[in-house]
Amino acid sequence: MAELKYIGKPAQRVGGLEKVMGKTKYVGDYNLPGMLYARTLRSDLPHARIKRLDVSPALKVPGVLAAITSEDFHNHGQFGFPIKDMYMLAYEKVRYVGEGIATVAAETPAAAAAGMQAIICELEELPAIFDMDEALAPEAPQVGPLRADGKHPNFLGHYPVYKGNPEEMLKQCDVTIDQKYETVMQEHAYIETEGALGIATTEGGVVVYVSCQSPFIPRGHIASVLNLPEGRVRVIVPPVGGSFGGKDDLNYQAAGQVAALALKTKRPVRMTFSREESMIASYKRGAMRMNIRLGADKDGTLRACQFKSTYDSGAYSSQSPFTSWRASIHAMGAYRYDACTVDINTVYTNQGYAGAYRGFGNTEVCSGIEQAVDEMADALKMDPMDFRLKNCLKVGDVTPHSQTLTESVGLTDCLLAVRKMSDWDRKRKNYSNQPVNGDGKRRGIGVAALFHGTSLGAEGADEATGTIELHDDNLVTLTSGLTDYGTGSRTVYTLIAAEVLGIDPSRIRVHLPDTNTAKDSGPTVASRATMLGGNATKVAALNLLQNLDWAAADLLNCDLHQLQRVGESYVGPSEEPVSWETVVSHAREMGLVLSAHGKWTAPLIQWDEEHGTGIPYFAYHFGAQVAEVEVDMNTGLTDVIGLWAVHDIGKVIFPQGAYGQLYGGISHGFGYALYEDVDYMDGYLQSVNFDTYLIPTSADMPEIHGGFVEAEFSQGPFGAKNIAEPAMVPTAPAILNAIAHASGRRIRKLPANLERVMLGEALKKKASTVSCKVALNIT
Amino acid sequence: MSNYDYAIAQTIEDAVSLLNEPGKRSIPLAGGTDVFVALRVNDLWFDRLVDVGRIPEMRQIREEGGKVSLGGAVQFKQAVENPTLRERVSFLSAACESIGGPAIRNAGTFGGNIANAAACADSLPALVCLEAEAHLCSAKGERVVPVEELVTAPHKTQIEHGELITHITFTLPPKKARSCFIKIGRRKAQSISRLSIAVIGTLDEDGIIDYVRICPGAAVATPVRFRNVEQTLIGKRPGKELFAAAGDQLVAEMIESTGRRWSTPYKEVALKTIAERALANIFLQDESSC
Repeated sequence: MAELKYIGKPAQRVGGLEKVMGKTKYVGDYNLPGMLYARTLRSDLPHARIKRLDVSPALKVPGVLAAITSEDFHNHGQFGFPIKDMYMLAYEKVRYVGEGIATVAAETPAAAAAGMQAIICELEELPAIFDMDEALAPEAPQVGPLRADGKHPNFLGHYPVYKGNPEEMLKQCDVTIDQKYETVMQEHAYIETEGALGIATTEGGVVVYVSCQSPFIPRGHIASVLNLPEGRVRVIVPPVGGSFGGKDDLNYQAAGQVAALALKTKRPVRMTFSREESMIASYKRGAMRMNIRLGADKDGTLRACQFKSTYDSGAYSSQSPFTSWRASIHAMGAYRYDACTVDINTVYTNQGYAGAYRGFGNTEVCSGIEQAVDEMADALKMDPMDFRLKNCLKVGDVTPHSQTLTESVGLTDCLLAVRKMSDWDRKRKNYSNQPVNGDGKRRGIGVAALFHGTSLGAEGADEATGTIELHDDNLVTLTSGLTDYGTGSRTVYTLIAAEVLGIDPSRIRVHLPDTNTAKDSGPTVASRATMLGGNATKVAALNLLQNLDWAAADLLNCDLHQLQRVGESYVGPSEEPVSWETVVSHAREMGLVLSAHGKWTAPLIQWDEEHGTGIPYFAYHFGAQVAEVEVDMNTGLTDVIGLWAVHDIGKVIFPQGAYGQLYGGISHGFGYALYEDVDYMDGYLQSVNFDTYLIPTSADMPEIHGGFVEAEFSQGPFGAKNIAEPAMVPTAPAILNAIAHASGRRIRKLPANLERVMLGEALKKKASTVSCKVALNIT
Repeated sequence: MSNYDYAIAQTIEDAVSLLNEPGKRSIPLAGGTDVFVALRVNDLWFDRLVDVGRIPEMRQIREEGGKVSLGGAVQFKQAVENPTLRERVSFLSAACESIGGPAIRNAGTFGGNIANAAACADSLPALVCLEAEAHLCSAKGERVVPVEELVTAPHKTQIEHGELITHITFTLPPKKARSCFIKIGRRKAQSISRLSIAVIGTLDEDGIIDYVRICPGAAVATPVRFRNVEQTLIGKRPGKELFAAAGDQLVAEMIESTGRRWSTPYKEVALKTIAERALANIFLQDESSC
């Protein structure tokens, strides 16, 4: 391959300068003449029947123009994918504190709040479930929808992986471990809260600007709940101020609500959430309880894994079927086993609700399995780095899913690189020899590895279409239905198109996703934008290039294969360079079409849901992280003093973007390890703002030493795979393993806060309903 | 959105007169780092904010004849940067430096920290150790109350409506005094104290403790000196065993004051730890711990 000019080279982030200068307009910055403000009445009970709902008093409040409930939507506003169990506004029942019940639109935010408070809503409290282990008890109150198969309505799904019989094999293993691990819910903490703006069109349709990841999903939902043809609903995604998986369902509800209100009032309607409303109403990373049994021979060969867990989806299914499935695929870690089974059962409760969040199930299981692997290494008296190197997946291995890995498996290289970068061997030895009973501060170093399936896998059809257009002023524009919500995908597309066309990236612009101009490319999830959207961009650019090459050959009077490029210019046999602009005008004179589509479809995969076997993903990301900590044994304070991360992301296309994703992901994992706990107590969120819900600050984060192994994937664009989600996955277990090394204290339930590190358990204040109730009425 | 008036006071007299204007509930506004947070979740409890943050004399740190005066609207950042405070009462500078983040320290004030009277207020333990006195001015005149007595319960003080903390004074401790402030927070910045301690002390020529003051933060309802613990230490030669005994006594008195609460299993270990470390830092020059 010729040397790459733009791919893998420093580049300016598309939209970066505008953000830094404060010029970027988010949906909350949009103000239109005559615009109304929407506000939602939300449930202050975790589980209740709606006995009476009367919005007419709200309509008498000065400034209020409209109020809607589930009755204002077709089929009560029911939506959801893959399980249709949600409503645009609550229908008959509310299932969590913060669930939307009715929405008003008014001339001012104050009038909207007054209208919201005037609504008559009588709720009859129902018994609720706050513990996932009680969800399937026969007498448990019904939270989930009735099932056709007669199973408990609170049962959401079972997600297995089956290879052999680990139960039997564990009996033959020299060393076994059997431990329980638990993760808690985590808040996405995007800087921009939820928001949407609806505008009615003269044709009776609606345009909705909504901060979300995947515009075609709300288009479908809005069309369905408003009973409009999809062509009458246009969804445009403005710049998104962070998402991390968090801008699906709740934003679709906001989009549906403003769309309905805009149609009703014939005026633009905008809804922007306060931080408290966002924290209370939004879905989180779900909590998981795991029981992991591992077996190994005394030479350190891992042989058996039995993984059983329960995942709490809360009040609605949201993305939990897919999260649970991804969790099941990754539950055993990136290792070889002779026998391995995974059983994940997902249930409904009334503890808020769980949806997509960076890592999507893998973050949860990795924190368990990577601790279990460490505990096994300890039991074998093996260095945990050596133990992982001995057992980790390599090219040619067969995974427990029965997939043969044929290419692009860089885990060994990641482990070796991070071992060297972090000075692992020296530190591990030194810290292991600290006095056992010393008080004060002790240091430790820990490692965690991961694999992470690229894109959707067997979750669904996996393809993307990009478009490219060369305009009269020679500007090139790219269109994608996939959103750049801070991931840098627009820069990736720009660099790919620049590389293919042989032109400077400054000639290229990328449009914001708009369902009327972009092609549906599936959801912007699963760290798939680079691989799917990047390949689609590449195909589109190649299609355009073909026409330009023909024009150049015609102009230079030569065969296509005689063409060469020097800078942007074309050179033929005469060796006289012709500028790219000249070629472009010649192409126009020839009447060639200077726009193109490019579609890319992912390789076929298949999964047998019942037998838990198949090819779940067409490629995998691999990585390893090392954390060095200092634990204050008498205050429980953990200071992470160094982090090293080496990930195999395939070919790096946009280096600063890749490092940005790596560092940002690690900061999420850092918070997950040490601070973050969405503390629902009896269904009520206790921390409703960032004064008590703690995420790491820049003062807490140590320097991160990042690196990439580029085990190129033959079908990725220029060999690229993915980075966004897996960056955070191994951080928490690496830190927990380091804490265990430093202190001898194994924290099997996240987060490793002051009390858990010092006492081995968290201390809980009495539950209070006050924060939620006050926050839902903030005016 | 709450509706209320706002007035800028140019002088202390001006402020007192605005605060005491009949028919209007007025409260002082300095940095706003507590008022505005409370305003978001509480019903409006005043009609007018009287901005005292622009009164020049309330923004001054002065030292004269061994006596320090901190204006009520002196911001924590000023205290952090003041050379006299850094040299003579480093635990107060350290405490101020541990508050919030740069934005909070640029706005938050001593007067506000005292008047808000949170059990975890970071500037208070050091002020209590220094026996600092708050100077309150009202239409009735001036009165002086020790900070330790002014705060009566969490978020409760003796400050009467219409009274303004114009300044806080304390006598500089002996030049040879060493002081230490230790704070345990859940993270390194923007962190509310889980527990803290301020200690100051001196040794006589024979190496015997002849002066010591101890005030923990976020341990009991209000920041108070633990005088019994101080008495245990006075007249003794510093040593690990002595400090362990002092730590145990401190913890016992904390529990006696608060009863066993949900957080006691943590605090009883952590308070002893930071007390021992602070004492070791001051009297055994153990720099590692503070």
